[in-house]
Amino acid sequence: MNETDMRRRLIAPAAGGLAALGAFVFGSRPAAAQGADARAALAAASMIEEVKRRGTLRVGLSTFVPWAFRNRAGELIGFEVDVANRLAQDMSVRAEFIPTAWDGIVPALLAGRFDAIIGGMSITAARNLSANFTSSYSANGVDMAANKRLADGMVTLEAYNRPNVTIAGRRGTSAIVAAQRLMPRATFRQFDDDAQAILEVVGGRAHAMVGSMPRPLFAVLDNAEVLFSPFPQPLMRQADAMAVRKGDPDALNFLDNWVLSRQLDGWLPERHAYWFGAREWRDQVPG
Amino acid sequence: MAWRRRRAVAMQLLQFGLFLGLLAWLLVGGAQGMGYNWQWVRVPRFLFQHVDGEFYAGPLLKGLLVTLHISGLAMLLTIVIGLGVALLRLSGSVAGRWLAVGYIEAIRNTPLLVQLYIVYFVLAPVLGIDRFWAGVLCLAVFEGAFAAEIFRGGIQAVRMGQWEAAWALGLSRGRALRHVVLPQALRVMLPPLAGLGVSLIKHSAIVSVIAVFDLMNEGRNVISDTFMTFEIWLTVAALYLCITVPLSAGVGLLERRLRGHAA
Amino acid sequence: MLGVVGWVGWRAGGALNYAWDFGPVWGFVARHDPQRGWVANLLLQGLLTTLRVSFWAGMIAACVGVLMGIARASRPLFPRLVAGFYVETIRNIPPLVFVFVFYFFVSSQVLPALGIEDWIRRQPPGTLWWMEVLFGPPAQAAGVFAAILCLGLFEGAYVTEIVRGGIQSLPAGQWEAAGALGLSRRRTLRLVILPQAVARTVPPLTGQAVSLVKDSSIISLVSIQDLAFMGNEVAATTNRVFETWLVVALFYFILCVTLSALAARAERRFAIRLRKPRPSLTTTPPGFTWSPTTTAAAISARCMTG
Repeated sequence: MNETDMRRRLIAPAAGGLAALGAFVFGSRPAAAQGADARAALAAASMIEEVKRRGTLRVGLSTFVPWAFRNRAGELIGFEVDVANRLAQDMSVRAEFIPTAWDGIVPALLAGRFDAIIGGMSITAARNLSANFTSSYSANGVDMAANKRLADGMVTLEAYNRPNVTIAGRRGTSAIVAAQRLMPRATFRQFDDDAQAILEVVGGRAHAMVGSMPRPLFAVLDNAEVLFSPFPQPLMRQADAMAVRKGDPDALNFLDNWVLSRQLDGWLPERHAYWFGAREWRDQVPG
Repeated sequence: MAWRRRRAVAMQLLQFGLFLGLLAWLLVGGAQGMGYNWQWVRVPRFLFQHVDGEFYAGPLLKGLLVTLHISGLAMLLTIVIGLGVALLRLSGSVAGRWLAVGYIEAIRNTPLLVQLYIVYFVLAPVLGIDRFWAGVLCLAVFEGAFAAEIFRGGIQAVRMGQWEAAWALGLSRGRALRHVVLPQALRVMLPPLAGLGVSLIKHSAIVSVIAVFDLMNEGRNVISDTFMTFEIWLTVAALYLCITVPLSAGVGLLERRLRGHAA
Repeated sequence: MLGVVGWVGWRAGGALNYAWDFGPVWGFVARHDPQRGWVANLLLQGLLTTLRVSFWAGMIAACVGVLMGIARASRPLFPRLVAGFYVETIRNIPPLVFVFVFYFFVSSQVLPALGIEDWIRRQPPGTLWWMEVLFGPPAQAAGVFAAILCLGLFEGAYVTEIVRGGIQSLPAGQWEAAGALGLSRRRTLRLVILPQAVARTVPPLTGQAVSLVKDSSIISLVSIQDLAFMGNEVAATTNRVFETWLVVALFYFILCVTLSALAARAERRFAIRLRKPRPSLTTTPPGFTWSPTTTAAAISARCMTG
């Protein structure tokens, strides 16, 4: 009697122990399987997967001649528009453009309003702290266009580095940041658009404007009787790239390799020469 | 019983406090859900810096001073324009009346932003004035239309008997206006004019579009450099409220005191 | 005065050797597409966006304004405080600051949370066509929704004050008589107060509608492609700053004047309705005195006829 009682009393804890052992063995999977789960989760959360699922690539950009601007029919054209369309085509999706104010475009990317910024954005350390950049696919630089009457004879940085010199530029651009570092004592007036900054200089309300090449040069060519280029070389060299959200290694890898492929097969250099070179597209733009 | 009513009021105030707390919690929680990185620690240096016992105003405070400067100058110009147009409207000449009405209707039916662009790109080069004065001019012209209506209402509120007595005394129209009618009209016009002052400070934010270094423009510049969107915008809004809320309260007080003296 | 006009004219003529050229600007209003005939170009598209945003923001402002206005005119402290907080905050903030903050908050928090853009993309073409008519191109719909919400909440504060003024302008006797009849607060509002308040609030509300159209130009600064935004683009593209802004100002002027004319007509219709000498709750015919009995009789007559 005592033995059966003791055996009966052991059944429940033994069963419980066996069940726990079984749960431990089959429930907690080995480290490799857990690692696979984490990788699958990371891949599924990538921007690439979202774009494939959605069927469109949402691109954030701003109006910047000649990176992205409107033609006579009101359609968006430009170097970055071509890049985005080709990228979407290679991903077998459609590109959708979301024009956004340039000084709020990085916060908008972080908030998820679009998948990537493809709009002539230069790589800077401040931006890189908030967003990731792909490899650069377009070399660039900071250039200046000055008013012939107001900035007569001013062809050195020191000439512009004075408090009574007004320099106009577009808010949120790397050109303004670079110019503020090179000429800290000048007075900077920041606008929402390059065209407004150019209007300031043409109208004689600012000594000069700073912007990314080749915009200031285009401005000088268009207003040759009022503007001139004080510096033959760019003030500072920069590199343009696409910006994506942080924590997405798959997207970064895909875009880096896409850029490499398009550079190797000559498509990117050809597009770059078309838009930044001789301005054959000028008749598409009125005015 | 008084204590029961006081307790009811206290309960309502407590409910309101909870409501405000809920709003704040929603805002913070929502921003955190987006993965927003609050950096309030970096904000004070844009307001002021205390270095070696010296007080340096940061860009936001400097912008606030410019805002007040522009608003003050625009207010003076507004009063001049408003009075002039009101007198023109009440005058005998048909051309003057048409001009005044045309001006008021044109201003009241176009947005301030469009008026600013026109003043800055078209009028400013013609008149040879810089962007600060273009902003002052635009604000004064805009608010002047509303001021003109206030002045006209105030002048017309003074009883006809006052004009007649002035004429009987041999005062010319201009002197009657200056010594008899306007001082009495002032009582009616002062509260709306003070309200116009508050409105002017609010609308002064628009001059940031033409890159005047006012509070709004400085705020946007700081944000584009640091990406601290929420913190800076909340600070800018708080600075504006610091100016406008006391002014509005003052207007309300003025209104109540002047109504007590109703003639 | 003639001197001032003369001086301005002399400077304008001398300093501004301007070659007037409206051609490119009209081209951006409408252009001739070889296949589709006359097609609306940038400026007209901007005008349509302005109309859409103003309309929907007006609807939101009306709803919010009526609710908050009733809250502001109520007796308990809590609704008054909440509505008062809302109204005073918005009335004391520059419209530009409010639009920037709130638009950024809504478009970066609320809209992605609601998944609006995905929902739009999943709709069938028929629905998409209707959405395009009502709200504009689907690609920009999310931003337009945010702007509508922004503007609606902003103008709602001013509508609140108008509604509150309308409610509080009614004599206290109306409330007392309704209370004497045993009507609850909600039924009093619905059957007695609001119908009378409507007639009084319509004129200032129409003025507020014109204000709404003008304030909508601010959303161009958050990149909503309305008329002011398109004005900037066209001015930059064609380099004809003067002509572009004159045309844009003309469009806004026509829009606002039309609204004001409609408003004046609505005001006259409400005034006519007020003048009908029926012993209803909205008018007092001559020789008729309001007493609790007569008020009660009128109210019960109104209740029974619905």
